[in-house]
Amino acid sequence: MTEYILQQMVNALAVGSEYALLALGLAIVYSIVNLVNFAHGELITVSGYALFFSAAVWVQNPWLLIALAVLCSTLAAAALERVAFRSIRNASLNTGMLTAFGVSIIIQNVFVIFVATRPRAVQTPAFLAEIVTIGGLRFPVLQVVETLTTAVAILALVVLLRSTTIGLAMRAAARDFTTVRLMGVRANRVIQVAFLISGLLAGIAAVFIFSRRGAVDPFMGFVPVLKAFVACVIGGLGSLPGAVLGGLLLGMFEVFLQVVLPADAAAYRDAIAFSVVGLVLVLYPQGLLGKRVELGDKEA
Amino acid sequence: MLELADIQVRYGATQAVRGASLTVGKGEIVSLLGANGAGKTTLVSAAVGIIPVAGGTIRFEGRDITRLPAEAVVGVGLTLCPEGRRVFADLTVRENLILGAATRRDRAGVEADIDRFFGMFPILRDRAGTEAKTLSGGEQQMLAIARALMCRPRLLMLDEPSLGLAPRIVEQIFELLVTLKQDGMTILLVEQNATEALMISDRAYVMANGRIVHGGKAADLIGSQDVTDAYLGAAAHG
Amino acid sequence: MRHLGRTLAVSALPVLCLLALAALIQTFAEPFQVRLAYAFFMNLVLALGLQVFMGNSGVVSFGHLGFMGVASYAVAILTIPVALKATMIPDAPFGLAGVELSPLVAALIAFALVLVLAFLSGFLVSRLSGAAAEIFTLALLVIAYVVFTAWIDLTRGQRSLYGIPVTSGLGFAAAVACVSVVVARLFRDSDLGLQLRASSEDTLAARAMGVHIGRLRHIAWVISALIVGAAGVLHATYLGAIGPNSFYFSQTFLVMAMIILGGMRSVSGTILGVLAISVGNEIARTLESGPVVLGVDLPEMFGLTGFFLGAVIVATMIWRRDGILGDIEFETLFRRRKAPSKGGEA
Repeated sequence: MTEYILQQMVNALAVGSEYALLALGLAIVYSIVNLVNFAHGELITVSGYALFFSAAVWVQNPWLLIALAVLCSTLAAAALERVAFRSIRNASLNTGMLTAFGVSIIIQNVFVIFVATRPRAVQTPAFLAEIVTIGGLRFPVLQVVETLTTAVAILALVVLLRSTTIGLAMRAAARDFTTVRLMGVRANRVIQVAFLISGLLAGIAAVFIFSRRGAVDPFMGFVPVLKAFVACVIGGLGSLPGAVLGGLLLGMFEVFLQVVLPADAAAYRDAIAFSVVGLVLVLYPQGLLGKRVELGDKEA
Repeated sequence: MLELADIQVRYGATQAVRGASLTVGKGEIVSLLGANGAGKTTLVSAAVGIIPVAGGTIRFEGRDITRLPAEAVVGVGLTLCPEGRRVFADLTVRENLILGAATRRDRAGVEADIDRFFGMFPILRDRAGTEAKTLSGGEQQMLAIARALMCRPRLLMLDEPSLGLAPRIVEQIFELLVTLKQDGMTILLVEQNATEALMISDRAYVMANGRIVHGGKAADLIGSQDVTDAYLGAAAHG
Repeated sequence: MRHLGRTLAVSALPVLCLLALAALIQTFAEPFQVRLAYAFFMNLVLALGLQVFMGNSGVVSFGHLGFMGVASYAVAILTIPVALKATMIPDAPFGLAGVELSPLVAALIAFALVLVLAFLSGFLVSRLSGAAAEIFTLALLVIAYVVFTAWIDLTRGQRSLYGIPVTSGLGFAAAVACVSVVVARLFRDSDLGLQLRASSEDTLAARAMGVHIGRLRHIAWVISALIVGAAGVLHATYLGAIGPNSFYFSQTFLVMAMIILGGMRSVSGTILGVLAISVGNEIARTLESGPVVLGVDLPEMFGLTGFFLGAVIVATMIWRRDGILGDIEFETLFRRRKAPSKGGEA
């Protein structure tokens, strides 16, 4: 029994990590340019098709495959900023969100037109599918690696935000972009870096997502990104620690539901999770780590 | 050193600055005075490129910087310490200063400057690791000035550094400006607080309704009817 | 209700145009064109419902299709003959397998259900900040879809429910659309609507002036959900068969593109957007199936309609953020043309 509980806890951490990676990318972009980037999910899809096509042209080395997938989502994020989001930079929240929504529909349908609607099998490194024994207990390698990778990624991000000038500028820009520009920091650079980071994190998450699913289809990015957004709202929209916390909580809650729900109610898991989160938010509308908007701040 | 010629700024249909011209010479402290809403903040914001100008030219050390975006203006040696201090609330005091030096590549020089400002403002040294939002108003203003100086400007613009501060602190800040001038800094000081500003200035301009209505030696403007009129006139216009 | 007379007067033009359109099509058009026209009126009701909430509160909702689905399923389950239900959903809960009501009673129950659900979900939408509320409307859509597909005993899951008595027609749809136009205009011109629009521009200032944004948003949410529910009733009672995928993404994209293109802040803009996208979507759908145009055999391109809708949304956002009409209504448009602006820029 303890073994089962421990295994489920690692599982919960892994799922939470996936949401945290995605939520973190969303929160970085949101905190700096106030963009609710619904097209974030399509970065996962881009990674998936990158894996699919590179395997199709006989890229065999698993590390190279991973690198290609992450590179593609990172570049795609930067490209989206340049092509679509730069022209609406100082527009209202809704303009940004609806643009992202439109961009997301366009990308999905480009894949429908040029690839196909039906899922394509995607290869991820075989070692991720193995089982590892730690202290006499058996865990899927995927879950352990995912949790560790996420921890490393978060740590690296913290270092970047605390000890580089661009990191300081990003933190400062979340509250007051104009004054950051007064310091001689180029707005385009701060925003590009934010998108690059969000794409990088999405790419890392994508590798794990595809290890689980094994296939990519044009519309698959939506549900993970919606969960990541819900995680952001739980933690407090725009707060980076909040995104990580919200992601972990949501992931753990889902695994918890999976464990306790009877088999015939399992199909309702997402509906129950969202409803419970909604109820909590009626009580804490700012999220767990959110701060109230003050006069002079950028409005949420 | 800085020349603003016939600057015009519009916010939609309303014109906030209607043809303002002024110059700041090397080593001077020049004050820009005027009532609330006269267009002073708009004018200096336009000078550093935060707000686009609709007409006129801005020259700094002979170079035309009219169309330069805000982030590039710092590079030419001109910086603005904005109204309301605008310190980065979630960053520590030290991080605020580092970000002020964002354009510099000499790490050692940056560290030396931070040390120098910690010497000038011991309170900042004591609070180096705390978030800037925990500082008092006066401390935040000092941090804002130090942060603006971190990029080693040759001309410093300050927008209402005395805003909302106790008279004793205002005095300290103005003393600091005099010290900076003695070290060779050129300063453009935007103030509502006319009398105190004139005491430390070489020259001054008075702004009302988006225009420069007066300019002259600071000594001549102290107690002058023109200055008083500018304030009352603006008040009468609403 | 002093604005009632004015609202009726200004609604007369669009209402008469819509009725004339319906009459023309009913009299002269082919059956498939009648079906398209029916879809137009149904989408118009749906879009107007969304407009009441989004246009006035400034909060985008992706979740309204859920209400449409609830109303459709309620009508379907309550009106399908008992004999058919015995084969499709014999284990329906609450003894619903043995219930067969008239379409009118079923519609009323559907509205009551939508009312309750909208009232409850409204607490969430009215408490959260704009962006968080918008994300949650999308979560609501997913919740609704999960229930439609997972509650197999009641909804038959992914398979469609058929055998709903077909009682609606083009005239009825046009009438419902006209009522929706009037309701949307009434709300827009009411004090509630005005306060809600004012508060959406500046939430902090509105709060400072004592405007209860949350309460206003809640009211708009419920009214708009009811209008959307009417679209759901129209859907079920005309097609005779419904499935969960009519109340999910593709339909959400469609109606979003409609109100974004026309201008969600105006009722007239919404009407215009529904018209434009209905036509454009039909063209895209024809191209998608690879027709022969001017002797050229075009390839099949599935995904073209979706691409078209996404492109409309992005293009509108980049070049004309407030949509074609912005917040202008038809009558202002005509008044402007008649009396050229006096003085222009004052």
